[in-house]
Amino acid sequence: MSPNLLRLLFLLMIFISLSITSSLSTPSPADSPPYLWPLPAEFSFGNETLSVDPALTLIIAGNGGGSPIVRAAFDRYMGITFKHASGRASLLARIRFLRMVEYDITSLKIVVHSDSEELQLGVDESYTLMVSKKNEQSIVGAATIEANTVYGALRGLETFSQLCAFDYLTKSVQIYKAPWYIQDKPRFGYRGLLIDTSRHFLPMDVIKQIIESMSFAKLNVLHWHIVDEQSFPFETPTYPNLWKGAYSRWERYTVEDASEIVRFAKMRGINVMAEVDVPGHAESWGTGYPDLWPSLSCREPLDVTKNFTFDVISGILADMRKIFPFELFHLGGDEVNTDCWKNTTHVKEWLQGRNFTTKDAYKYFVLRAQQIAISKNWTPVNWEETFSSFGKDLDPRTVIQNWLVSDICQKAVAKGFRCIFSNQGYWYLDHLDVPWDEVYNTEPLNGIEDPSLQKLVIGGEVCMWGETADTSVVLQTIWPRAAAAAERMWSTREAVSKGNITLTALPRLHYFRCLLNNRGVPAAPVDNFYARRPPSGPGSCYAQ
Amino acid sequence: MRGRGAKIAGVLPLFMLFIAGTISAFEDIERLRIWPLPAQVSHGGRRMYISGDFKLVTEGSKYGDTSGILKEGFDRMLSIVRLSHVISGDRNSSGSGGSALLQGLHVIISSSTDELEYEADESYKLVVPSPEKPSYAQLEAKSVYGALHGLQTFSQLCHFNLKKKVIEILMTPWNITDQPRFSYRGLLIDTSRHYLPLPVIKNVIDSMTYAKLNVLHWHIVDTQSFPLEIPSYPKLWNGAYSSSQRYTFEDAAEIVNYAQRRGIHVLAEIDVPGHALSWGKGYPALWPSKNCQEPLDVSSDFTFKVIDGILSDFSKIFKFKFVHLGGDEVNTTCWSATPRIAQWLKKHRMSEGEAYQYFVLRAQKIALSHGYEIINWEETFINFGSKLNSKTVVHNWLNTGLVENVTASGLRCIVSNQEYWYLDHIDAPWQGFYANEPLQNITDKKQQSLVLGGEVCMWGEHIDASDIEQTIWPRAAAAAERLWTPYAKLAKNPNKVTTRLAHFRCLLNRRGVAAAPLVGGGRVVPFEPGSCLAQ
Repeated sequence: MSPNLLRLLFLLMIFISLSITSSLSTPSPADSPPYLWPLPAEFSFGNETLSVDPALTLIIAGNGGGSPIVRAAFDRYMGITFKHASGRASLLARIRFLRMVEYDITSLKIVVHSDSEELQLGVDESYTLMVSKKNEQSIVGAATIEANTVYGALRGLETFSQLCAFDYLTKSVQIYKAPWYIQDKPRFGYRGLLIDTSRHFLPMDVIKQIIESMSFAKLNVLHWHIVDEQSFPFETPTYPNLWKGAYSRWERYTVEDASEIVRFAKMRGINVMAEVDVPGHAESWGTGYPDLWPSLSCREPLDVTKNFTFDVISGILADMRKIFPFELFHLGGDEVNTDCWKNTTHVKEWLQGRNFTTKDAYKYFVLRAQQIAISKNWTPVNWEETFSSFGKDLDPRTVIQNWLVSDICQKAVAKGFRCIFSNQGYWYLDHLDVPWDEVYNTEPLNGIEDPSLQKLVIGGEVCMWGETADTSVVLQTIWPRAAAAAERMWSTREAVSKGNITLTALPRLHYFRCLLNNRGVPAAPVDNFYARRPPSGPGSCYAQ
Repeated sequence: MRGRGAKIAGVLPLFMLFIAGTISAFEDIERLRIWPLPAQVSHGGRRMYISGDFKLVTEGSKYGDTSGILKEGFDRMLSIVRLSHVISGDRNSSGSGGSALLQGLHVIISSSTDELEYEADESYKLVVPSPEKPSYAQLEAKSVYGALHGLQTFSQLCHFNLKKKVIEILMTPWNITDQPRFSYRGLLIDTSRHYLPLPVIKNVIDSMTYAKLNVLHWHIVDTQSFPLEIPSYPKLWNGAYSSSQRYTFEDAAEIVNYAQRRGIHVLAEIDVPGHALSWGKGYPALWPSKNCQEPLDVSSDFTFKVIDGILSDFSKIFKFKFVHLGGDEVNTTCWSATPRIAQWLKKHRMSEGEAYQYFVLRAQKIALSHGYEIINWEETFINFGSKLNSKTVVHNWLNTGLVENVTASGLRCIVSNQEYWYLDHIDAPWQGFYANEPLQNITDKKQQSLVLGGEVCMWGEHIDASDIEQTIWPRAAAAAERLWTPYAKLAKNPNKVTTRLAHFRCLLNRRGVAAAPLVGGGRVVPFEPGSCLAQ
């Protein structure tokens, strides 16, 4: 069967079944919500309960169905879905003694149309998921995911896994409220989470745990703030002394480690955006190369006067280009305190010679760094101060990342720049006094009405700055609040903006937090006002 | 991008690291970076490397490993040594030629059994490199479980060299002979106050192996919820928080199996007659009355039938020789306040206190009939110690001096004094966990031998899947060394081991365990940017 014919049949079936199910059960506020997070764009469900075979077989179709990314994801989700001993472990016993057991869902068909595994900004993440009992109508099998790319298939698999629940009475995995028809796609192409490995080193295993957990909430960009003033944990072959700025010889990443992070993330449909924050936030560079400091007693920002400074940036970016294939690269540019430039004789003379103010020098630095990134075929991302200070001079390809001023995206898109929303009052996860509902209610498109300007807001990002978050607390500081932002960025604006979120979102978020716990992610209680606080007393996960 | 606290210098932690390094230089033993410290260690100064296809060989071993316990343990050891690093360095050209390369580990086990027996030999001898086969390390053990401890020690000798991109062992030749000081080295988890999902329990078990703890005390049920399936009384788990916050019988068997394959016993507890309100959700007849629901109804035979059913089911999956019957904090007012039970007391001429004794002793007999020896919390000893079955182990938590009294009476004892070894006391610092000596004031050798060991307790009122790891670690590790390492080798001043414990904490972090910082006392979050080693 050709993919197109298959698709036609599939759509036809959806149409037929939609008309059936809508008569069976129409979602109404009185119903318990479907426990899916983030909420799919379009869905319908019925009232049947279906059992899922622990020996669920994967059937692949389409040009991209054979991708190892699909196979690996299927295996991961099988592990997640059938983790109870009575699932897979007793399978042989079942076959031996209960030949009669018949499951409703015995196979999962994954159709992927494109064979391209290219993962870039705006990659098609849409998918269609259909789960229904086998009957004459179901020509394409009991559970089917259809997507244009492997990454859409990954999102569909996540949704499928959230439909599956272990039933403790029958000791089998069941799907409630079938048949399900879900057509889904993200609202924003960029749904990010920042981690900071300079303030505290995060071991490889922890970064992988974070990436894995991101995939559960359909986040798709890991913004890796690798270096800052406190430490430089990253190996740079071109300038091998740079990682002398690491906290210790154990707290470092090799080039191969970073590549492994990128590979691991790609397998989960997640891009890694690296950041080198210049010229401020770079003191640790000088531990290996003191020439990068204006002077031994005044060490930040980087010395703007020296070609060596830009040679090092160029070297770092050349090395990183081999590791990070994502088209965006973050150059920082925030919180630049230029006092050191004023107070260091040779820098001061250089400024005078060029008739530069310190602000001119700041601009000169950022633009020169941008050109280096562009020459490496990267699109530069910069923090918003670069836009507020000299927006008209920025390369037009620049993506502005908001953090400080609430209407900066409004202003940036009005000037034709693309923008990432990360308002610190709501989406800085290190702000422990922002409860989940404030995270949830924050809208990246606020104040931007023109659809053509709305398109320039490529998405948003929650930021897990590392001053007081190390391995011991990073995951519970991220979760569950990052999930609130994840739904804001994935689901339709109508779905997340209407109604009373205490009824429409909170029960599902409770459920999602417990799902994270069940998958081994230490997501903190939802209901505490302060983030990452322990539960206030004994109780059910679903009520805390 | 940082709203606040952004300008914190990175100099301070590095400075502290330097200080710490200087101090430890005075004490060679502290430079070993092994936790818990082995009984006997000697080492040299030569660097060796681990081959890319580092092998397990077992020639001469009597242990057949048909169940794969050793092989899996070896593979786990390799994966926590390699972590996610790409080992790309050219090992053959590194160091002083091929002779510095270790091809594998030669494990020789003299006992053929897979049985995880309490008080079985846990000793091992690790030599790197083997004198006979210089391209191998050699690990000898009586049992496979001793060998697993040896693998843990070996994993701590290995370091990934990030510059050369090889795994190296410094300071060879190593010669380590090791065995635990106490046979019972426990950690309590509480799945009643908060349900702990299976992957979380498995993570806890894995982390216990890193510190050579060997008993997971599973406080399964309490007042708040009854999460475990009991086939004999299938409504008991109606007392779970919800339909999904439960363990099937098979799940529990899987936990036991998972732990056993790592050399860890699972001690199951049902805490009777107090701490059992949730039982009545499925069987209200177990309550004295609808409005007075705890302790369990002492007057009803049904109560003991249910206990018998539970322990009968337990005996099929919990293979440890002990079962814990609780018996603490029994408030008996419900018994007198319920007319039916008050009459029963009168008829049997029992005070409330005597009924408490009657209950505990009857439950003990049931446990014995299922082949278990019994552990009870200390109140049972305080109230009617002379009546307790001689196979009772008294579990301390409340009173200092209890251990002396228990052992003087000839009963065995486990130490968990709450002021030092209760992990839910989140302001209790690690130094207190380290310094707490189970044999305090006990000089008589016979009495000393009755102290089986100790246990740190992770009560779950404020502990769920989100904060359990950092509340347990690194403080449980401090107690783990107290329980493992010979007394003479333990630091008199806990602060002398800070650097080595910080290393162990960072090792836990690298292995994905969310162990909390040491600096700040109790369970804390890092207060500023800095190195893992300095916090």
